[in-house]
Amino acid sequence: MDLTVAEGAAPREGFLLVEVDRFQGPLDLLLHLIRTQDIDVFDIPISKITDQFLQAIRGIQAHDLDGAGEFLEMAATLVRIKAQMLLPRTEEEEDEDPRAELVRRLLEYEQIREISARLSAAEADRARRFGKGFNPPRPRRPVAETPLETTWEEVWEAALRVEMPEPRLRQHRVATRTVAMEDKIVLILDALRDTTRVEFTGLLRGFEEKIHGVMTFLAGLELTRRRILFLRQSSPFAELWIYRREDEEEGGDPEDIRPPEEEGAAQA
Amino acid sequence: MNAHQIVEAVLFASDAPLTADEIARADETLDEDRVEDAIRFLQAEYDDAERSFQVVELAEGYQVLTRPEFAPYLERFDNVPRPSRLSGPALETLAIIAYRQPLGRIEMEYIRGVGSAGVLKTLQDREMIEVVGRAEGLGRPVLYGTTARFLEHFGFKSLEELPRPEELPIILRERVQLGPEEEVEEAEADSDQLVLGEGSEATASVSSDEPDPNVAQAEETPSG
Repeated sequence: MDLTVAEGAAPREGFLLVEVDRFQGPLDLLLHLIRTQDIDVFDIPISKITDQFLQAIRGIQAHDLDGAGEFLEMAATLVRIKAQMLLPRTEEEEDEDPRAELVRRLLEYEQIREISARLSAAEADRARRFGKGFNPPRPRRPVAETPLETTWEEVWEAALRVEMPEPRLRQHRVATRTVAMEDKIVLILDALRDTTRVEFTGLLRGFEEKIHGVMTFLAGLELTRRRILFLRQSSPFAELWIYRREDEEEGGDPEDIRPPEEEGAAQA
Repeated sequence: MNAHQIVEAVLFASDAPLTADEIARADETLDEDRVEDAIRFLQAEYDDAERSFQVVELAEGYQVLTRPEFAPYLERFDNVPRPSRLSGPALETLAIIAYRQPLGRIEMEYIRGVGSAGVLKTLQDREMIEVVGRAEGLGRPVLYGTTARFLEHFGFKSLEELPRPEELPIILRERVQLGPEEEVEEAEADSDQLVLGEGSEATASVSSDEPDPNVAQAEETPSG
């Protein structure tokens, strides 16, 4: 769009050349007009500023209505304030200056711009420090064998087949488990110190969360793997028994120490 | 194993800031205070040894990051992750949310003077802001606030580390405060008392010379 308002602009006194493009919005433009002319923001010559503002946005084309709307809205506000300024202020003294709200917005916006600049500096500083992590290398697609001779149609077809690789986001965090399996190993070994077998559910007494059950079970499996004990369950959902493996004898017959009340089931 | 070794191991293995409380979960002998002691110990040790990295306080936690002066060496690698910088409008929007949170889109657009739906979406996608609640009133519009990612991205320990409004070199800043909640009320009260000078020469002379009765009437009509 053509936002330069250069032509025919120069001669008038107090006139500015403004490229609306450069501005993030009407407040930005307004602030620019005020600051570049050293205008006291608490005493804005509203008539002059309104003229300059209208002149600056004259180039905005109708097809950019989206962005233009914001500038036009501000133009309307300025014209309204200008009209209000012309009214004799007869009523009570406390009647607010018609410009007050605009001034408040402008100052606020200026402050935000200052903060944005500081954020930008902080962002740049932070970007100079690197943490752990890596960007996965871009996957290389195998190069297909292409015949030397080709037609534009083939190229076109090939272009249509190209897919953008899915961006992958990887992140990992170190999080501690709330219940440690190591603790459960100690718990099991303690329970088996003076007896040869112990009920699994007995080991869960006093612990509420499911994670304790999971970790106790994992600890049981781990100790089984280490050949320190073995697990026995007579049927699905029946009580799980944990047995101490006697000595190191590999061939030791575990059948000997199965709980008597489950004898029949265990053999099945 | 020393406490500072355990803390070091945990920090070393993490690619995101961890709070002292999170680090303390590594071992029963640790608590927040001991973790912080250990971190101070590590910080001094790294400094003494002139390591290329430091334990940095970030986003309410700690993370091991390289010293800024090594950036040029690391920037030569494509697979070293570098966060992309935010655009001007995104920074502006984020600045407003950081100081005014929670706040909704309509208020944002009034402050900025431009439509902000797109930039809010972008900031949300980048996890710089999140929906923190809903306003009372018509349609119960969503309200946005900043995230821990925001603090991480800008290298802030906490929101307290943002520049205070009173540090900003802007005239009459006390009248237009962007401070935390308790100060906003005050600021709003003050802004009502904005005293402006008399109208500019041009408008003042017009209004005194030719008060237009039609315009005056027009103003009274809608108020009645």
